[in-house]
Amino acid sequence: MTEVQTSPAAAPAAAGPSPRTGTQRAARVKEAATGWLFALPFTVLLVAFLLLPMAYAFKISLYRSTLIEGEVFAWFDNYKQAIDDPLVREGVVRVLIFGLLQTPVMIGIALIAALLIDAATSRFSRFFRLAAFVPYAVPVVIGTLMWGFLYSDSIGPFAWTGIDFTSSDTVLASLGNIVTWQWAGYNMIVLYAALQGLPRDVYESARIDGASEVQIALRIKTPMISSALVLATLFTIMGTLQFFTEPLILQPLNPGAITQHYTPNVYAYNQAFSFQQYNYSAAISFLLGAVVFIGSYIFLFATRKRSALR
Amino acid sequence: MAAIAATATAVTLAACGSGDDDKAATAAKPTGTVTVKVWAWYPEFKAVVDQFNATHTDVKIEWTNAGTGQDQYTKLQTALKAGKGAPDVVMLELQEIPTFALTKHLVDLGKYGANAVKGDYAGWAWDQVSSGEQVYALPVDAGPMAMMYREDIFKKYNLTVPTTWDEYKAQAEKLKAASGGKSFMTDFGANDGGFMTGLFWQAGAKPYTYDIANPGAIGVNVNSAEAKKVFEYWEGMVNTGLADTTAFHTTDFYNGLGSEKYATYLAAGWGPGYIQANAGGAAGKWRVAPLPQWTAGANAQGDWGGSSFAVTDQAQYPDIAAKVAMEIFGAKNSEAWKIGIDKAFLFPTVTPVLESDAFTGKTYDFFGGQKVNEVFVPAYNGVGDLDWSPFNSYNFNQLTTNLGQAIEKKTSWTAALDTAQENIKTYATQQGFKVQ
Repeated sequence: MTEVQTSPAAAPAAAGPSPRTGTQRAARVKEAATGWLFALPFTVLLVAFLLLPMAYAFKISLYRSTLIEGEVFAWFDNYKQAIDDPLVREGVVRVLIFGLLQTPVMIGIALIAALLIDAATSRFSRFFRLAAFVPYAVPVVIGTLMWGFLYSDSIGPFAWTGIDFTSSDTVLASLGNIVTWQWAGYNMIVLYAALQGLPRDVYESARIDGASEVQIALRIKTPMISSALVLATLFTIMGTLQFFTEPLILQPLNPGAITQHYTPNVYAYNQAFSFQQYNYSAAISFLLGAVVFIGSYIFLFATRKRSALR
Repeated sequence: MAAIAATATAVTLAACGSGDDDKAATAAKPTGTVTVKVWAWYPEFKAVVDQFNATHTDVKIEWTNAGTGQDQYTKLQTALKAGKGAPDVVMLELQEIPTFALTKHLVDLGKYGANAVKGDYAGWAWDQVSSGEQVYALPVDAGPMAMMYREDIFKKYNLTVPTTWDEYKAQAEKLKAASGGKSFMTDFGANDGGFMTGLFWQAGAKPYTYDIANPGAIGVNVNSAEAKKVFEYWEGMVNTGLADTTAFHTTDFYNGLGSEKYATYLAAGWGPGYIQANAGGAAGKWRVAPLPQWTAGANAQGDWGGSSFAVTDQAQYPDIAAKVAMEIFGAKNSEAWKIGIDKAFLFPTVTPVLESDAFTGKTYDFFGGQKVNEVFVPAYNGVGDLDWSPFNSYNFNQLTTNLGQAIEKKTSWTAALDTAQENIKTYATQQGFKVQ
């Protein structure tokens, strides 16, 4: 545990064999109290807005209420039902496919863009940096609605292609495009900031050794910002598993292709707010939360050497 | 307003006498001006509220637009579940009434004299909001269906106005050949359960057998022979390229109405306002004719949409809230109806307004000066009875999802109805209903 190694008490203990005195202990208690005091505002917010709602959601996920019989305690019936529900599974599989395809594409675009801006030092690069960031500043709902119009086969600018962007064959890619459009710029800024933090003299020595700009970008810059890459990928994975707003907004365009169980989140939303199945919805949400937690943890564990979140 | 207060007191006393209404008996006597909170979503409702408030001194409407359709229902469900925050009077679409009545959050307006105005409504419309002497809401507007058609397209390709569904199909084939596939006879939006149910309704299907007075039992017959007949017909129309399947209420759909893409639009009583707002470019070109019939010469009709005013159990003075619900768009409130018809394009359910010259004789420039209500009023009067389930969101969801997927995957529409039937039966059983 890193806390133990870096705690202030560890330093004098390692420095010499001096026995702990009462004053030292009092100082430590005082320090700990100060530490807790600093953490207090965060703790209060965490409890009030995350842990308590989570506990409440967990509680209602253990009940089952029906329109006729009212509410009964049902243990883990809702969870059993969710695990067996083919519609939940369909959504999970879809989200996994989506994540596997979309994450590398988006991180790849963000990385290339970041490397390009980092290499260029013209006024244009500053403009491009801002322009690439703009989609992130647009609320997801607005961005999705805008793409809905762009995909239109009567007024959209791509209508001439004859492609139906909201058919069941194409809609996943269309949604992926919206997500990439929205988030690639944000990830690019994260990676670009990491690039800015690198010591410039490394490039100088690489150039003296005869490395080309491409070689510098791929063999020096990219490995050196790997922790930022891991972070961006992690956020993308978490975002993907919670895929919700885009399919919900585009659903009216083709409810046959974007079903009400399109992603587990959309399904949970509809269970609660369309079918009054609050308990089942809570169970699905909780399961999904567990999957996000485990998925993120596995990814962090697998990349722990490069992760910035050690 | 003195009259309302007096009647309210009389009703309260009467209720005390019959001894079956605790709420009215224990309700505190209001002092001063009573504020009645109303949720309704059409913007033009403001003028109606202003008119009401200007003509009343001891009751005042406080209006909130809490979102349209499902948005409002979600808020309402939450407020009703929470026990506070719900309005006194709320706008509900007809198909939602059993859903809210089931949870016992709607006040029985029959106890506040609503049965006295029963005669002002068509029988089927009153059945939509009541069960015996119990009245769950007052009907406001309805959506009897008719066929809107583009006169210019019909003239251009020498089409005749069809009166039966067979003729409709024949004209559709003629149109497809003559226009080189550029124009569709119509658009069948698979994303609107109300539209589909309207067509089932006309064909005589009874998807549910349900009485709010006996809430635990329900008959589910979503895949009846009549419903399958409707779906087989439209599956043929879609698969042969005679009808389009662009989702309703989308930009592409509005564009289709405004351009020459669609020759007809199977619309409801609120359709004239809707089409003017969304396809203004085609002003003067549309006309209205009765909905084609399955049997030549018959007058079978269906309804798509329509709304009502209900009183929630959170109303502080349910008697006064009931009076407001009855009066806002009541038969005698011709001032409010003038606004409702001219500005909000409501299709009135109250017979005296419906049959007034002001309504039937009204000409619409958008329809080339046609008196379109001469078509819609007989349609309204020809609608038969239909029960809604107390879980209509699920019902509509099953219709739209299964049909949507059938269209996407080019699978059988009637099989989609079978799937919907199975899923709905399972859902109803899970919810504790005795399913027949």
